[in-house]
Amino acid sequence: MKCSRRNFLTGTGAVIFTTGGVGLSVLSTQTVAADEASPAKRYGMVHDETACIGCTACTDACREVNKVPEGVSRLEILRSDPQGEYPDVTYRFTRKSCQHCENPPCVYVCPTGAAYKDEQTGIIDVHKEKCVGCGYCLAACPYQVRFFNPEDHSADKCNFCRDTNLAEGKQPACVESCPTKALIFGDLNDPSSDVNQVIENKVVYRDKVQLGTKPKLYKVPHQKGEIS
Amino acid sequence: MSGFDSAFQFDSLVWDWIIAVYLFLAGMSAGAVMIALYLKRRVIEGDPANNGIMKAMAWLAPFGIISGLTILIFHLTKPLSFWKIMIFFNPTSVMSMGVILFQVYMVVLFIWIGMIFRAPLMNWFDGKLPDGLLNWADGLLIKLKNSSNTIELFLGFLAIILAAYTGFLLSALKTYPMLNNPVLPILFLFSSISSGVAACLMFGVLVFKEPASSPSVSWVHYIERPVVMFELFVLVTFFTGLIFSGGQNEVAAWNAIGGGFWSNWFWFGVVLVGMVVPLVLNSITSKQTRHSGGYIFVVTLLSLAGVLMLRTFILYAGQMTVV
Repeated sequence: MKCSRRNFLTGTGAVIFTTGGVGLSVLSTQTVAADEASPAKRYGMVHDETACIGCTACTDACREVNKVPEGVSRLEILRSDPQGEYPDVTYRFTRKSCQHCENPPCVYVCPTGAAYKDEQTGIIDVHKEKCVGCGYCLAACPYQVRFFNPEDHSADKCNFCRDTNLAEGKQPACVESCPTKALIFGDLNDPSSDVNQVIENKVVYRDKVQLGTKPKLYKVPHQKGEIS
Repeated sequence: MSGFDSAFQFDSLVWDWIIAVYLFLAGMSAGAVMIALYLKRRVIEGDPANNGIMKAMAWLAPFGIISGLTILIFHLTKPLSFWKIMIFFNPTSVMSMGVILFQVYMVVLFIWIGMIFRAPLMNWFDGKLPDGLLNWADGLLIKLKNSSNTIELFLGFLAIILAAYTGFLLSALKTYPMLNNPVLPILFLFSSISSGVAACLMFGVLVFKEPASSPSVSWVHYIERPVVMFELFVLVTFFTGLIFSGGQNEVAAWNAIGGGFWSNWFWFGVVLVGMVVPLVLNSITSKQTRHSGGYIFVVTLLSLAGVLMLRTFILYAGQMTVV
């Protein structure tokens, strides 16, 4: 087969054009609801710190969709100290939320089994009716993302919108609301999922991996300064 | 925020001083049981029900465990749901295993106290409780007398595990390098014994009038010093272990004992007032002074305060530094 440079260029252009378009259309219509009959999913997320502008639209969307009361939050965007000299100043923004660990310390310490891992999705969630409010999970989480919901007095945290957006076949609220597409969500068991594409093609890190928790929140590091 | 406020309120704090009081009460209960078990088996001659320290234990051990668990229930965000913790179990949860331990410990403790104080208890309850119930309990206690050795050894085992449990509860927390420390259960076991010693002496001698020169009091005095010295040694291994392992462990150790509110609390309260002063007083005072009521009250109060301060210190300083 002959492959001139011109053919090659038009070919790649066509591929990029079509897959790019298809990719976008798939993303907008994709349904990610957990199907009981389908093989177990393992949901994970990437926070692209190179794309995040720290607008906190994700925080607001989460609060609205999941009815999170004021004063507490399932998701925070932490801003670093300013990096560089004026006028060339940047910040590193990083996401603080449930990491949906493969080995979740909160689930291991919960005395009643209220904190649990959903085997169909890999999501860490709370059986609120079982929670007695001892606070052991709040203390046990090395990522310090759990809090007591001031309204129902149960332990609360991000559950990837499992009972809200995900149940309706939509992406989690934070992902939907992000104006810079800095959040990518999907099934880590599916090699072709968007989330796996990013993890394979970009440099990523996870927080506190030395603890053996195997977190499922990946981060594309901000390109300045030390990862901390 | 003033230094005092920020010492008791910070972002990474989940469990506050109520938990420290609970740890203290549960440990004191277990410590008193360990002391009383040894006295009953090896020291006391005659009826243990007449011994002041046994009487002190019979009040202190149930009081410690019951009041400790009660304040714990009211510390839950959903106190009325506390029963769920007793019907749902999680084998990987130290707390859940602790709940089982507490229940077995309380049953065996009440049986043992019932066996020792069977006669006075039956007299006291006579006419206050239905005869059928009393006769049944009396018969049961008499029948159990045959296996009293097994019951005592089992209760001793439970008391040791319970004292250590207060440490395992905190050492299971990966979040806080100072608490996630294998030495913690050993430290709490010995601080439990030392609080048990102090509480038994205080109530045994001052309230239940055990003579200060009796063999029981002498034995409790005899183990007092080695227990506190070993506790000091365990504290040294606790912090050198953190410092030598570097990283956040070392940061946590220096945050706790290298200056600031909790550091002062530790050096002046826990070590000086709670351990060194009682040790020094016991070695420089005359036998006559040591047997006086006022002296015993002051020294045992210092030891008890020291143990409570140790639990508070470990809890707060431990939660200051996150991995």
